[in-house]
Amino acid sequence: MMKMAAETKVGEAEWEVKIPEKKLKDRLFFENLKAMVIDTQMCSRCLTCVSICPSKLIVNEEDIVDFPDYDKKCLDCGACVRVCPRYDYKPKSGLGDYIEFTAGQSKRFKGQDGAMATEFIFSAIDMGLIDRGLFVDRDEQWRTSVFHVRGQEQLEKLPLGGTKYVFADVLPELKKAVMFSKVGVGVVGTPCMVSGVRKLQEEFPVFKEKVKLVVGLFCTENFHYNEVSKYLIEKGVDYSKLIKTDIMKGKFVATMTDDEVKFKVSQLSSILPSGCNVCTDFTAVESDVSVGSVGSVAGFSTTVVRTEVAKEIWDYIKKMGNAEVGEGKVEELDFLINHKKEREKNIKQ
Amino acid sequence: MKKVGTPEYDLSDKLKYHVSALSTAAKEMALPLNITTHYPRERKRQPACFRGYMLFDPERCISCFQCSFVCPANAIWMKDAPSGRYYPTVDYGKCIFCHFCIDSCPGGALRTTKIHDVAYKTMDEMFTSTEEMIEPPEIIREDEGVVDYVIDKEDLSLKRTKEIDELIVDVEPSQGVPMISVCVDRGSCLACKVCDKICESGAVSSVVEEATMTVKMGIDAEKCTGCGLCVKECSMQILRLVRK
Repeated sequence: MMKMAAETKVGEAEWEVKIPEKKLKDRLFFENLKAMVIDTQMCSRCLTCVSICPSKLIVNEEDIVDFPDYDKKCLDCGACVRVCPRYDYKPKSGLGDYIEFTAGQSKRFKGQDGAMATEFIFSAIDMGLIDRGLFVDRDEQWRTSVFHVRGQEQLEKLPLGGTKYVFADVLPELKKAVMFSKVGVGVVGTPCMVSGVRKLQEEFPVFKEKVKLVVGLFCTENFHYNEVSKYLIEKGVDYSKLIKTDIMKGKFVATMTDDEVKFKVSQLSSILPSGCNVCTDFTAVESDVSVGSVGSVAGFSTTVVRTEVAKEIWDYIKKMGNAEVGEGKVEELDFLINHKKEREKNIKQ
Repeated sequence: MKKVGTPEYDLSDKLKYHVSALSTAAKEMALPLNITTHYPRERKRQPACFRGYMLFDPERCISCFQCSFVCPANAIWMKDAPSGRYYPTVDYGKCIFCHFCIDSCPGGALRTTKIHDVAYKTMDEMFTSTEEMIEPPEIIREDEGVVDYVIDKEDLSLKRTKEIDELIVDVEPSQGVPMISVCVDRGSCLACKVCDKICESGAVSSVVEEATMTVKMGIDAEKCTGCGLCVKECSMQILRLVRK
């Protein structure tokens, strides 16, 4: 419905911009978004709308995406509706198309598993395909922040790899990176963020031109910092000693320097974000390359190469000997793919 | 070996030089040939483009911040006015009187004067607020004439005129290089209409057509003053200033 040719040339200095249909007539576009996505608990808080809003007033507050005083301050341009992956939600599921299903272990970087997301971004920088990559970092309290990486030397000080299970404001940073970048940008994100990036690329040529590599992560669910930190502290996790968090065989494992806290993932359902409840995409179907720990032996990352660009980088990684190549097992993914596909029933249309 | 000594003059030479010295002294007594200006009793005539104390016209200011951006001495600060606009203030303790601010002002809100002699008691007073820039400072004038230097073939002489040089001048604002705003990536336009709202000269237009759900955007090349406000505000950074 919202396919549109955004560019029509009319004369020298005139142009036309197609804006989407409003589902609720005579209301502001943000009210439409609020009614269709946020209030219906569909919002995944991928923050695509935050990144594109020209007034920069859409915020990711405590536990909801909001626009304070939108009735006065909204410019009613429809950008948020144009880019929201959940406004006109077409749930993706399954493994998606791929060129190569494999596994890898980076020789240069150390991460939770094979550090292949890091490897892909840095190899793309080495190839000259992109000039900056976006990574999620964490502080001692495991609060996330996004930073721009332009070279390998930046890696030595910062704990980059490792799963945080906490959402980060990747997409608002992506827009800044796109504006700064002269060559291209690489980004790592969860499936909802990948969908957001694709939506941005579909609508705005500047993103199509600049975002060259999108690395998707396998994702069952992701949590928001306030909720997950409160829950983990109740469970006895001491953030100052926490080394890594992981989900293995249906169990959430928080490893600390002297202790380990384990409990069933299903217990986390009380803090499961409502947006994840309607998400059916486990493998980030729309990404250039998907990376995750499921489907390969310990120490390796399953790598699903989907597009020509990713294939080129993967060939480069193999040629340069930057990674150990392992074996990926497609069937190991089936359980989680089906587990997420079951969430289709939660989607109310 | 040649001996060097004082020249030897005979009586006729000595007489000649003495007469010449006396006549010069007599001439100077009658018509003194000094080249210093007796400030403040007289002022040197300055050209109209003299880089002096600056005046500001809020009516013509479009709050584009160009003056504060361009200032190499960081002397210009923008302060918010009650009207919600931002107006410049000048710290004359820092100002190097390059007048780049005046040259860069697209609306001609800043202009120069021939005032070059403002006295301040403290450094803090040199910080000139917007209100103080609208009217020229209080001037006590003792001068009764202007001085022009006349350069002859041989030497420099003074021309004194009994007239008062006007310190407040009316110079045409600098034209600079005529620029115009263009959209370089129309496909990435959000149609947020910020450029239309910010434009002071009415060059940018945006018309929403409800029937077809399109927004018609346009930049009128005739009206665009090249101030760059829209370029600065565009959140997608798809507007650029190019030479007209």
